[in-house]
Amino acid sequence: MTVMARPWRRLTPTGRIAVPLLVLLVLLGLLGFLGLVTGIIPGLVDFVLRLAGANPGIVRFIVAAVAVLLLSIPIAFINGYAELKVIALMQSRIGPNRVGPFGTLQAVFHGFKMLAKEDFTPLGADRPAFTLAPVVVFLTVVLSFLVIPFAPGLYGADLNVGLLYFFAVGGLSVVGLLMAGWSSFNKYSLLGGLRSAAQIVSYEIPLTLSVVGLVMLAGTMSLNGIVEAQGGQFWHWYVFQQPLGFAIFFIAVSAEANRTPFDLTEADSEIVAGYMTEYSGMRFGFFYFAEYVSLFIISALTAVLFLGGWHAPVDIHALASFFGLTVPALSIDPGSLGVGLLLLITLGPLIGTLLLTVPVALWRTDWSIWRALLVGFLLFNVAVGALITIYAYVASEVVAGVFWVMAKTFTLVFVFIWIRTTLPRVRVDQLMAFAWKWLLPAALLNIFVTAAAIVVLS
Amino acid sequence: MFRIPGMGLAKGMATTLIRFFERKATVQYPEVRQDISPHHRGRLVLLYDEWGALKCETCFQCAQACPIECIDMGGVDTKNRYHIHWGPPEQYAERREESALRRSGRPVPDRTFIPFDPIDVGPLDRILEEEDYDPGHMLAILEKTQAAYGHLPVAALKHISHATGAWYAEIYGTASYYEHLRFELPAGRRIGLCRCPSCTLLGGGRLREALEAAAGTSLPGTSPEGALSLEAIDCHGDSPTEPFVTLDGEARQGVTPASLAELATSLRAAAARPGRA
Repeated sequence: MTVMARPWRRLTPTGRIAVPLLVLLVLLGLLGFLGLVTGIIPGLVDFVLRLAGANPGIVRFIVAAVAVLLLSIPIAFINGYAELKVIALMQSRIGPNRVGPFGTLQAVFHGFKMLAKEDFTPLGADRPAFTLAPVVVFLTVVLSFLVIPFAPGLYGADLNVGLLYFFAVGGLSVVGLLMAGWSSFNKYSLLGGLRSAAQIVSYEIPLTLSVVGLVMLAGTMSLNGIVEAQGGQFWHWYVFQQPLGFAIFFIAVSAEANRTPFDLTEADSEIVAGYMTEYSGMRFGFFYFAEYVSLFIISALTAVLFLGGWHAPVDIHALASFFGLTVPALSIDPGSLGVGLLLLITLGPLIGTLLLTVPVALWRTDWSIWRALLVGFLLFNVAVGALITIYAYVASEVVAGVFWVMAKTFTLVFVFIWIRTTLPRVRVDQLMAFAWKWLLPAALLNIFVTAAAIVVLS
Repeated sequence: MFRIPGMGLAKGMATTLIRFFERKATVQYPEVRQDISPHHRGRLVLLYDEWGALKCETCFQCAQACPIECIDMGGVDTKNRYHIHWGPPEQYAERREESALRRSGRPVPDRTFIPFDPIDVGPLDRILEEEDYDPGHMLAILEKTQAAYGHLPVAALKHISHATGAWYAEIYGTASYYEHLRFELPAGRRIGLCRCPSCTLLGGGRLREALEAAAGTSLPGTSPEGALSLEAIDCHGDSPTEPFVTLDGEARQGVTPASLAELATSLRAAAARPGRA
């Protein structure tokens, strides 16, 4: 080891990262070369492909689970940052602006802070339940992710009872909250857990009933089917056919996800931190993680159920055919360019950068030419990125679907944060009375009116 | 006026949305500094609460903390009896309107300028001698003075101030903080109840409730017709087994809430004029 020690000490911090990576790369390359030469790697790839081809269900499951778990991380960070920033802006503050550009890395650093803190279990706590509670809460959130369709064909599973599955799995989070409250060995936690259980169980009923009218209209409980039933223009969305159902659903779902004004479960100013009083470190972080992901999921579900899912607000093709026109289909086959493609790839960036540098250099004459070149290169990247995005949107209905679902979802996330900034928390008796005396009768009324309308109109 | 339901919600949402797009109030302090005078030390402002009452509690802490003695506090107590002042005498400002009146030569209608009654300072001097003229023993001095004179006369407080060197405002602050020290002779019969934690744990709270209900006033205070005054006293650990209760300064044993209420009622009834219902 002493042979390695001196050169190692001479390395800069960057070098200490780069050199081991280089060594690893060389070793992997060597292994890959050996594998290719001996035919082990092609054999393995062939085996995996044949296995996957024989079991498409399992492959889909694994891909979906991995994708959902990976997606939940940036979603939680984006929502956490949005929460901080939007609330700050609405309170005439600037909000996070120190970590990363415009403070965008603030939520990430909150996550690191959670990781670095001591993960403490109180004496007398029910250890297995205490450890499992955050997992259960997070799991329910991630599992309900699976049925949400993001684009035609882009979903974890198209269950014919998708909506029911969503509510069933979402309702399981009560178990996690109660586990957390009970196992903490703290009366405040227990109080918070029971309170949240009462709240979520109460709001589960109007929540489920509010979508019955919608299910009757769509004739299916598959979320995919519901989105397909809303095709066409934006007035075909269920929010316009089920306004009362939408209102009830929106209120109940915000109570389900513990959003203000129904965030009594963790009312910081009242019961310490509710069921997670005794939690610290990453287990505490998991509750927050689950909360931010569930904010995204309820927004996505609202978008899917009531706002037309992946459909654009205006169907351009239908609109054009109404006026007797046709939208020209954009079909560029890159392969048809031949040698031109090669020229485009090699010379395009160079010419584009130079072309964009000229106006920058003329505009800011005090900048050095290198700086102008750098800005021109960045501008070129932005322009090409925008062009590629537009091309992908036009060419692929999956990209377009994801774009619209995400746009609607994050608009709803903004609305939830907006509501949180504006409204004060309701009292616990008001909360319960509102669910049972107003939301439940209104949901039943919605069902009857919808059923009557279906009978009369058909 | 017809009120549209949900209008308040909509207004609130509109307010927050407008704020979202407005200019922000934050000043990024270390990078951006507001343009203020280098001599600026903040503004001295007296704040008023939503009912228009002055929020200042006359705790004198601002005057005490002010390094160059530019803050000094003066005023009269709530019943216009004593002048209270913190700070050197040459800064003893008077109220603006009084100052004009006094310069005009006419008499100033201020109860605190009426000379207070003189007292025989013999017992007070003995008390001060016992306590070694030590302002650190102020509570003991005040308690003994009250025991000797029945209350704390202004002349006694002035005398204590002169003898010990403590500022009058400090002595007044100490005397007005403790509930068992009083500035006026109690009217009628006196029932005392110790308020220390030990007596409270032994059932003093129930005694207090019964007593206050029977006397029609809160502790410390005087019943509406003036026949009975309740005073908060201190047992100084003399009564380890039950709450310490006194009648006219004499300790009473074995008092229950019921018997105490009965005592208070009978004392009030005895003083009532015959012929009244």
